[in-house]
Amino acid sequence: MIERTTVTIQVSRRFAASAERVFDAWLDPERARRFLFATATGEMVRTEIDPRVGGRFSIVERRDGEDVEHTGEYIEIDRPRRLVFSFGVPEYSDATTVVTIEITPLEDGCELILTDESVPADWVERNREGWSAILEGLAGAVQDAEG
Amino acid sequence: MNDTIDQTMSALSHSTRRAILERLMSGEERITDLAEPFEMSLNAISKHVQVLERAGLVRRRRVWREHRVSFNPAPLDEVSAWIEQRRRFWTERLDALDTLLRTEDGDDRKTKDA
Repeated sequence: MIERTTVTIQVSRRFAASAERVFDAWLDPERARRFLFATATGEMVRTEIDPRVGGRFSIVERRDGEDVEHTGEYIEIDRPRRLVFSFGVPEYSDATTVVTIEITPLEDGCELILTDESVPADWVERNREGWSAILEGLAGAVQDAEG
Repeated sequence: MNDTIDQTMSALSHSTRRAILERLMSGEERITDLAEPFEMSLNAISKHVQVLERAGLVRRRRVWREHRVSFNPAPLDEVSAWIEQRRRFWTERLDALDTLLRTEDGDDRKTKDA
C-alpha cells in the first residue's frame, strides 16, 4: 500500500457576503486580480482564468522587476460550495499544493474553510502509521492522507 | 516547499525513523544500543540513521570505536516556520477578499443612494 504524506494547512473565515459572491470572487478575473495573489508593492500584469474543470489559471504579478506567476488547474468546481485547484509558484518552488475551498451558506453570510495540502513530487515510499506525534505537535497542521 | 523541508518530511515518513528520533529525544545513544529494541539488523538501523543524518535530524560523533548519535531539532523548526508562513499567506488572502467584498458593498450602497 502506498500512502502519501502531506502537510495540511487550514484557515477558516466568516464573510458577511453570500456564499455565491464569495465563491465567484475566486473565478472572476476582475476580482481575483485584486485579492488573490496581489501584494502591496507588486503590479498585477496578467490574470487569466479558464473556470472549468481541467481549465488553468495564470496570475502574474511583477515584484521588484521580476514576474512571479501563480498557476494551477481547476480540479472541482461546484458553485457555491466547493472549489478545488492545484497551485504552484514555479519561480519559487517546483512543489505543487492542492487547495480546497469549502463554503457553507449561513443566515447572514457564509463560512469559508480553505485547506492547502502539500504534495511534494518525490514522496513515494510511505508507511501505514503516517506521521508521529513529533510533527503533529508542531502546529496541529500535519496529517496523513491515504492515497 | 524547499529542499530542507522536503528532506525532513521524507526522513520522517518511516515509522522506524520516527521511533529512533523519539528515543534520541531523551538523550544521545550508541548505535548498537539504539538497534536493540527494534527487530532489525544493526545494518538496517544504520541505514535509517543515515537518512536522518542527511536530513540533519540526527548528529553522529565517534567516541573511540563507537558511533554515538543525537537528535537535532533544527530542521523541525524549519518545517514549523514553513507551515506558519503558509498559514499567514492564506490568512492575508482571505483578509483581502473580505476587504474587497466590503468595498463593493460600500460602492453598491453609494450607487443606490444616488
